[in-house]
Amino acid sequence: MVKKIITYIIMALTSIIFLFPLAWSIISSLKPENKIVSYPPQWIPNQITLENYKLVLEKYPYISWMANSIFLTVTSTLFVLVISSMAAYAFARLEFRCKKIIFTIIISMLLIPIQAYIVPLFLLVSKLNLINTHAAIILVAGANVTSLFILTSFFKSIPKEIEEAARIDGCTDFKIFVSIMLPLSKSALSTVAILTFISNWNNFLWPMISIRSDNLKPLTVGIAQFMGGASSNASFLYGLSLAGACMAIIPSMIVFLSLQKFFVEGIANSGIKG
Amino acid sequence: MKKQGKIAAIFLLPYLLIFVVFRFVPSVMGLFISFTKWNIVGNPKFTGFSNFKRLAADSYFKIATTNTFKFLLLVLPALIIFSLLLAVLFNQKMKFKNAARTISIIPYVLIPAVVGIIWNWLYDNNFGILNYYLKMIGINPIEWLTNQNTALISVAIVTIWSFLGYNMILYLAGLQGINTELYEASMIDGANKFQTFTKITLPLLKPITSMIVTLTLINTIQIFDQIFVMTNGGPGTSTLTLVQYLYSTAFQNYDLGYASTIGIAILVILMALVGLQSRLFKLDD
Repeated sequence: MVKKIITYIIMALTSIIFLFPLAWSIISSLKPENKIVSYPPQWIPNQITLENYKLVLEKYPYISWMANSIFLTVTSTLFVLVISSMAAYAFARLEFRCKKIIFTIIISMLLIPIQAYIVPLFLLVSKLNLINTHAAIILVAGANVTSLFILTSFFKSIPKEIEEAARIDGCTDFKIFVSIMLPLSKSALSTVAILTFISNWNNFLWPMISIRSDNLKPLTVGIAQFMGGASSNASFLYGLSLAGACMAIIPSMIVFLSLQKFFVEGIANSGIKG
Repeated sequence: MKKQGKIAAIFLLPYLLIFVVFRFVPSVMGLFISFTKWNIVGNPKFTGFSNFKRLAADSYFKIATTNTFKFLLLVLPALIIFSLLLAVLFNQKMKFKNAARTISIIPYVLIPAVVGIIWNWLYDNNFGILNYYLKMIGINPIEWLTNQNTALISVAIVTIWSFLGYNMILYLAGLQGINTELYEASMIDGANKFQTFTKITLPLLKPITSMIVTLTLINTIQIFDQIFVMTNGGPGTSTLTLVQYLYSTAFQNYDLGYASTIGIAILVILMALVGLQSRLFKLDD
């Protein structure tokens, strides 16, 4: 009994540790600036205002940032799913020359961090006249090695007998791919979708380098402008930066809470396969 | 077979095209540029190993490497230990378990810049709630992000907070994959709970631990956004990390050749660490 109670106390404490920074920031963002930085901290504000939120929306193209982020994340994720599942099918099921070598070269890129090639990538993308376009972000996101790796190993694990019957019935590879492989791979596809979604939603370094116009920026780069703190910057406004941060929590939470089961399974699956 | 080659080409083409243009070619180019001197204007000039010699003598590079390793040492053990403990806790039969588990992943799904802004506010020297509570229990206020001695630790705490839930889910999946008969057998053999944990659970979790170590290595060696938002490398050079240094060399000083050299150095460090970890964990697969 005592053990049970202690376990529940630890569980409650960890939940508090995870939630309290968010709760405190949301509460603070609803206070007028002079009340935010008042001492002692007030958990229950005696004056609630949306002034900070209004200020963010007036001073910055915040709605565009959010729309850009949603657009970029959704299109990048779909793009990755389509091209890497197609390539994975070729690597798992088709015979062609230099298959092993090509696959090894691709997988060996898994460990090369973007920083190692970001300078030439920037030059190349400038040469293609794609700097300051959303295409730059989506195309670079498409060169995703992890997804190809997960999908290829999953496709290989599907027994060949199922498609052999279809092949005898005269099905083409496209038909087999679309109506047999993909439906059988829902779990792997959702794992890849979740992992790609998170990494694209949080994408920062490359969009920061490749996007110049303020209204083309994704949320990650846009809200980084609110950086700093009162300790280092005198003209800094906490209300503004907290309101900007709290609004960015909303889409993350909507997606996460509605797809919660897939998130947990996706993360867990990535571990078991890795 | 010939026919399959054609079909394979169609399936492969979109991915290969993207991969070659946006990953393979830049990676190879990066290696070449790292042997040149190039300030964007004009053509790169081949300078042999001089960039690498410069790197070896560069005090900023040394600081950035030390900081990155310090950061790794702060984050890695804490993440492993705490996420394992949490996973064991959440693997028990309890009410509200699912809610608590969901709450613990929330920090992971937030944008790093958002996390940075939130914690900058908690850490604020004068008005931050952390210092307020410390004062209440009689501890002197801490200059979290503005003191050279505490800035890196403060950022590390935030990173641990963000990734704890994610790693916990990985461990939880591992724990749930362990056959319960093994526990029963060890109980019958008279092992106590602690022995069961160290002799059965831990060894069986080795593959997951190895994976978490690899992921943490990759993530921390490449740490950038959180630091960029929270301290931008400061105060002084106390939170200057490798990627931060690469970024300022390439996109503030436009020293592209040297920046590529730093990029190659990051790659080598990462490869060495991942190689070391797989040797330590001796995974045979």
